[in-house]
Amino acid sequence: MILESILPPERTLFGVAGGSKKRVLEFFSTFIAQNTPSLDSQEVFGRLIGRERLGSTGIGNGVAIPHARNPHCKEPIAGFLRLQEPIDFDATDGDPVDLIFVLLVPEEADDAHLSLLAQVAAIMNDSAIRTKLRQAQTQRQLYDTLIEAIRQHDNSAN
Amino acid sequence: MDTINSLFLFSGFLIALSIVASRVSSRIGVPLLVLFLGLGMMAGEEGVLGIEFDDYSLAYLIGHLALAMILLDGGLRTRLKTFRVGLKPALCLATLGVFVTSGLVGLMATWIFDLSWVEGLLVGAIVGSTDAAAVFSMLSGQGVTLNERVGATLEIESGTNDPMAIFLTITLAEVLVSGASGVGHTLMTFVSQFGLGLLVGVGGGWLAAKLLRWLDLASGLYSLLALASGFFIFGLTSAAGGSGFLAIYLAGLMIGNQPGRHLTHILPVHDGLAWLSQIGLFLVLGLLVTPSEMIDYAIPGAVLALGLIFVARPLAVLVSLKPFFNFRWRELGFISWVGLRGAVPIVLAIFPVIAGVENATLYFNVAFFVVLMSLLMQGASLARVARWMRVEVPAGTTPNRRGALGVLPENDYEMFVYKVENEALEDVPIRLLRFPSGALISGLFRKHTMLHAKGSTRLKLGDVICVIGRSEDLPALNRLFNGDATLKRERAFFGTFTLDGEAVMSDVADAYGLTLSAGEQNMTLGEFVSLRVGGHPVVGDDVDWHGFHWVVNAVEGNRVTRVGLRLYH
Repeated sequence: MILESILPPERTLFGVAGGSKKRVLEFFSTFIAQNTPSLDSQEVFGRLIGRERLGSTGIGNGVAIPHARNPHCKEPIAGFLRLQEPIDFDATDGDPVDLIFVLLVPEEADDAHLSLLAQVAAIMNDSAIRTKLRQAQTQRQLYDTLIEAIRQHDNSAN
Repeated sequence: MDTINSLFLFSGFLIALSIVASRVSSRIGVPLLVLFLGLGMMAGEEGVLGIEFDDYSLAYLIGHLALAMILLDGGLRTRLKTFRVGLKPALCLATLGVFVTSGLVGLMATWIFDLSWVEGLLVGAIVGSTDAAAVFSMLSGQGVTLNERVGATLEIESGTNDPMAIFLTITLAEVLVSGASGVGHTLMTFVSQFGLGLLVGVGGGWLAAKLLRWLDLASGLYSLLALASGFFIFGLTSAAGGSGFLAIYLAGLMIGNQPGRHLTHILPVHDGLAWLSQIGLFLVLGLLVTPSEMIDYAIPGAVLALGLIFVARPLAVLVSLKPFFNFRWRELGFISWVGLRGAVPIVLAIFPVIAGVENATLYFNVAFFVVLMSLLMQGASLARVARWMRVEVPAGTTPNRRGALGVLPENDYEMFVYKVENEALEDVPIRLLRFPSGALISGLFRKHTMLHAKGSTRLKLGDVICVIGRSEDLPALNRLFNGDATLKRERAFFGTFTLDGEAVMSDVADAYGLTLSAGEQNMTLGEFVSLRVGGHPVVGDDVDWHGFHWVVNAVEGNRVTRVGLRLYH
C-alpha cells in the first residue's frame, strides 16, 4: 500500500485551531466525514478516542499518530494536521503536540495496514522532517514537504 | 627497617600503577582484573621487579580479607527489590549450579590430569563459583544495561555462590588429607555452613543497619562501623561453623537496604575499599604465581578452561534454570557466558597448599590458568555478547550526579545534577518546564559561572542544572532531560506506541482486530503480557503476537503498567 496515494492534498490541513486533544479529534472526525461521505463523524470520533483510552498515540517530539479501524472505510485513509498552537496530548515524553498524522483503516486489518502505520511512525521519527514540517509557511508547502518525506522514506526502505 | 620501607615502596607503587593502568584498560580491551594479575606477575620473581613472594598463608589471609570486603560491598549495592525476579534462580545456580559445574569440571580434570576421583573433583570445586563483581564493573564500564531478570540473577548468584564452592573445596581437601568422613558429618557441615551463614548474616546485618541508622556519628565513621560490623559478623559466623562469606554478603544486603543518610557516607568508601580489595588481591595472586611453572599446565589448563566455559557452565545453567523458571534461550545463553571466574578460585586453590594436600601446586596453577582464560575470553566479550543475545534494555537519562543533602535523616531530599542535552529544551524559559511539583531548580551553571535562575531564564544547550528533589521525582526529571537520541533508542526498542497496562484486552483486540480466546477477553493487557511472559515480568520482556512485538515498558512489582507496541517492517 502506498502511503502517498491515500493522502491527497485536501486532507493535509494547515494551521488547525488546537484547544484540546478531544477538540482536535472532533474537528478531524467532522472534516473527514464531510470529505468521505461513507464515514460517520460520530463513529470515527468514537473509535479514535477509544484507541486513545488504551494509551496516548502521542509518540513524543510533539507528534501524535491517532489511528483506528473503521467498518465504513473501504480503503485506508490518511490525514495530516498541523496545529496553530501545540496541545496537551498525554504524549509519552509529556511534550505538547502540534503535528498529527491520522490513519483510518478498514475493519479487516491486515499486515498491509500495520505496515502503513510503521511507515508513518518511521517518517515522523525523523527530526529533520519534523523541523521542515514545522517550518512550512503554507498549506501547499506543508503537503509538498510531507509527500517528499514519504517518497524519500519509500526510496530508502526499498 | 628495610622490609618496612620496601613494603611501603612496592605496595604503594604497584597499587598506584594499577589504578593509573585501569584508565587504559577499557581502551585496549583488556579486562581490568587481568591487568592487575599481569602487573603482579611482572613485579614477581620472574618479572621486572623480581619480588620473591611465596607466602601462601599471607596470601590466603589477604584473600579472605579482600573477598569479605568485596562481598560486603556487593551486598550493599544489591537492591532487595531485585529479589522479586532474581532470588530463586540465583539460589538454584548458587547451589545446584555450583554442584553441577564442579562435578563436570571435576570429571574432566580427572581425565585430563590423570588424577584420582577425589583429586579431580577438588579441581572442579575450586573453580566452581563465579565472580560477578568483575562482571558488573565490566558491564557498567562498557555502558551495558541488562534486563532486570538477567542482571539480578547474575548479581545475586555471584554474591551467594562462594559458600557452596568453599564448602565443596574444604570437604574434598579434608577427605584427601585425613580420609573420608561420614556422610552424616558432611551433611551437618553443609547445614551449619548455610544455616548459620543465613541466620547470623541476616540477624547481625539487621542489627548493624538499625545501629547505623540510629547513631549520630561523624561522617567518616559510618563506613568504618559498617566494615567493622561486617568483619565481626564474618568472624562470628566462621567461628560458629557457618559460612562467613554468605553472612557478610547478607549483612551488606541488610545495611544497604536500610534507607537513611548513613548510606551516602558508606557507599563511596566501600566502593573504594572494594576496588582496593580487587587490586590488592589480584596483585598478590599475580605475585604468588610462578609463570614458568604455570606454563607446564598451559595446554591441559586451557582444555579444562574451554570445557568449563563451553560445556560445564552451560549445562549447569540449563539444569538449574530451565526446568524451574521462565528464562528465554538467549537469556540462558548469556547467563552461561557470564560464568566469569575471578579471585575466589585462586584463593580457594591456596587452601590445598596450606592444608598440605599432595600435588598442591597443580591445583593452584590450574585454577590460575582457568581464571585467566575465563577473564580473557568471557570478560573481554561481555558487552558484545550482551548485545548479540539481546539481553540489554536501553538506558534512559539519569542525573550526571546525585547525592543526599543530609538534612532529613529519613526520606531525605537529594541534589540531582543534569546537563541540558535535549535540543527541545534550548531557549525554553524555566517557568515553562514540566517540572515535578516537589522539585526545585537550585542552581544553573553556564560557562563556569552560576546564574540566578528565574522563571524567565531561558535554557541553553550545555547548561548544568542542579535540582533539589526526592527520588520519586526522578522519572519525571529524567524524562524532561531525556535527549532526542535517548528517546529514539527507546522508541526503537519499546516500539512507537505505548499502551496502558490497565487497558482491557477486548478493547485492545477491538482497536487492532485481534482474535482472543474466551478467557482472555476480560484480562488487562498487563495481565495478558505477564501470562505470556510466564510470570515475574521485567522491563524488556517481549511477546510476538498477531504481527506485533509487545514489549514490557514499565513494571511496578509484578504488575505490568506500560506495554510498548513495536511494529515490524
